[in-house]
Amino acid sequence: MIRDTAGTACRRNSPDVGDVGLSVKLTLLTAALAVALPVLLSSCGSSDSAGPATTQAAASTPSILIEDAWVRATVGAKDTTMTAAFMSLTNPGDADIRLTSATSPLAGMVQLHEMAMKDGTMVMREKPGGVNVPAASHTHLSPGGDHVMLMGLEQPLKPGDEVPLTLEFSDGTSRDLTVPVKVFTEEEEHYHPSETPAAK
Amino acid sequence: MTGRPSRRQLFGVAGAAAVGAAAGGAIVAVDNEAPQQPPVRAISPYGEHQPAIAGPTPEHAELVALNLLPETDKAALGRLMRLWSDDIVALADGRPAPGDSTPELAVANVALTTTVGLGPRVFELTGHKPPGLDDLPVMRHDRLEPAWSGGDLLVMVGADDAVSVVHAVRRLVADAKPFATPLWRQTGFWNSTGADGRPVTGRNLFGQVDGTGNPAVGTPDFDHTVWSSDGPEWFRRGTTLVVRRIRMNLDAWDELTRSEQERAVGRTLSTGAPLTGSAEHDELDLQARDADGRLVIAENSHARLSHHSVNDGRRIFRKGLNYVQDNGPTRESGLIFLSHQADVAGQFLPLLARLDAADALNDWTTTIGSAVFALPPGFQADSWLAHELLS
Repeated sequence: MIRDTAGTACRRNSPDVGDVGLSVKLTLLTAALAVALPVLLSSCGSSDSAGPATTQAAASTPSILIEDAWVRATVGAKDTTMTAAFMSLTNPGDADIRLTSATSPLAGMVQLHEMAMKDGTMVMREKPGGVNVPAASHTHLSPGGDHVMLMGLEQPLKPGDEVPLTLEFSDGTSRDLTVPVKVFTEEEEHYHPSETPAAK
Repeated sequence: MTGRPSRRQLFGVAGAAAVGAAAGGAIVAVDNEAPQQPPVRAISPYGEHQPAIAGPTPEHAELVALNLLPETDKAALGRLMRLWSDDIVALADGRPAPGDSTPELAVANVALTTTVGLGPRVFELTGHKPPGLDDLPVMRHDRLEPAWSGGDLLVMVGADDAVSVVHAVRRLVADAKPFATPLWRQTGFWNSTGADGRPVTGRNLFGQVDGTGNPAVGTPDFDHTVWSSDGPEWFRRGTTLVVRRIRMNLDAWDELTRSEQERAVGRTLSTGAPLTGSAEHDELDLQARDADGRLVIAENSHARLSHHSVNDGRRIFRKGLNYVQDNGPTRESGLIFLSHQADVAGQFLPLLARLDAADALNDWTTTIGSAVFALPPGFQADSWLAHELLS
């Protein structure tokens, strides 16, 4: 599945893009961080395991391994033109690798986003330089954290659909994925605010 | 479908189990000072065959049969199998399935396995049906209830831990919702570990050692019995599973004398040894007679009738799960009978017909559910379940 590709339809990441006025759309992605954090468990790996892992994975420079990829469905959302993809990235090698860009034929634009505090509120913004995957470690793209933002969707995505997604990495490799669309119920209150007041 | 091999292969199970709740890929050093490594109970989700089939019977298991929704076509079934394959890998590694709304319930090292089957009707969509994979005819003693019978898909989860089973089933059923809807669910339990920690055959709720006559895993006899070697190409290294829900009349059984109970089975209750032997795995002496000239292993005993030597050498690989079904103050007890064989019609059906005609145990057992499934071969890290059928 690894292939070399060059061109992308995606706008280049640049640090000064900064907050792209998307904080309004923040609700699309911010499950309360407290809720999202447990998703991020199972970080592991260390310099201790780097040696054997590297040997085991490949003789030369192993590329990124991708697991547990999924895209959140847009059906039921107020705005069905955007959503996000999440996944776990594992770097078995001994040099950091960055996820630098992503494209999908279903999305007019794809960006790599992070959640960050700005003036006391959490905002979603393009991540300068892409998403780093440290050597011999994992990076988790999760609701409430870094994610692949799919914008300009031509059609709603419903659970059971699949989204083609191509990821480009700083080591020059490129990965074509077929990512399942799943419901993510925790965030539904953002789409359909409850009449019942939440706990203060 | 996505990047593989898994992190477990790269970093070991300790890595998958390590807890480091920090955003964005924190590095958590492996603690080399840790006093003890727990025994590795994780079972790889990959392999030539679906891994639970030849493995020990799990302590806790749940089976869910689902029917495909009318709009689910072959392509959609492929999407479901890809999705389930990812879930199966994550859950086996102790990671939450992608999009899990209760990720804390995914824990490592509980020997969690997931087995997936395809019912006969699926092959109307796909073709390439394994020969002999048809719903079993209704036997004379059957009292089949639709609520426990049939199904287009089977998902069976087993683990050391009931919480993990329930969680995994919840994810798998939730992810199947766009494609299929549950038809029946059966929950069972089994004890296949002796007091000394060694594996044992296990007992059903009659108290019988149940499953002694199985071919031994890893032998040519086992392979020949279980794995498909002819039929459609995609099904090679697959097997079939018969699921029969057998209600057991414990009240009537308890009224029998111990010798009546042992005579019905043809084995001693204490060890499971044949009445002609002294140890569980002693061969049956089907000719032996007592002082009065009666066969020691009775003509209608279960052990005789199900023995391969009187079934033209046909064998099956038997497993089972005990079940109880409570309804207010009343309890129904029984056995979720599970049988693997390469060919249902060729191996299982003749045996079933024999037992239905004469088995002494029929007086205390009633089959109330029946279903058959083709279990696709296993998948590897770069692939997914049944891709050779559905690609």
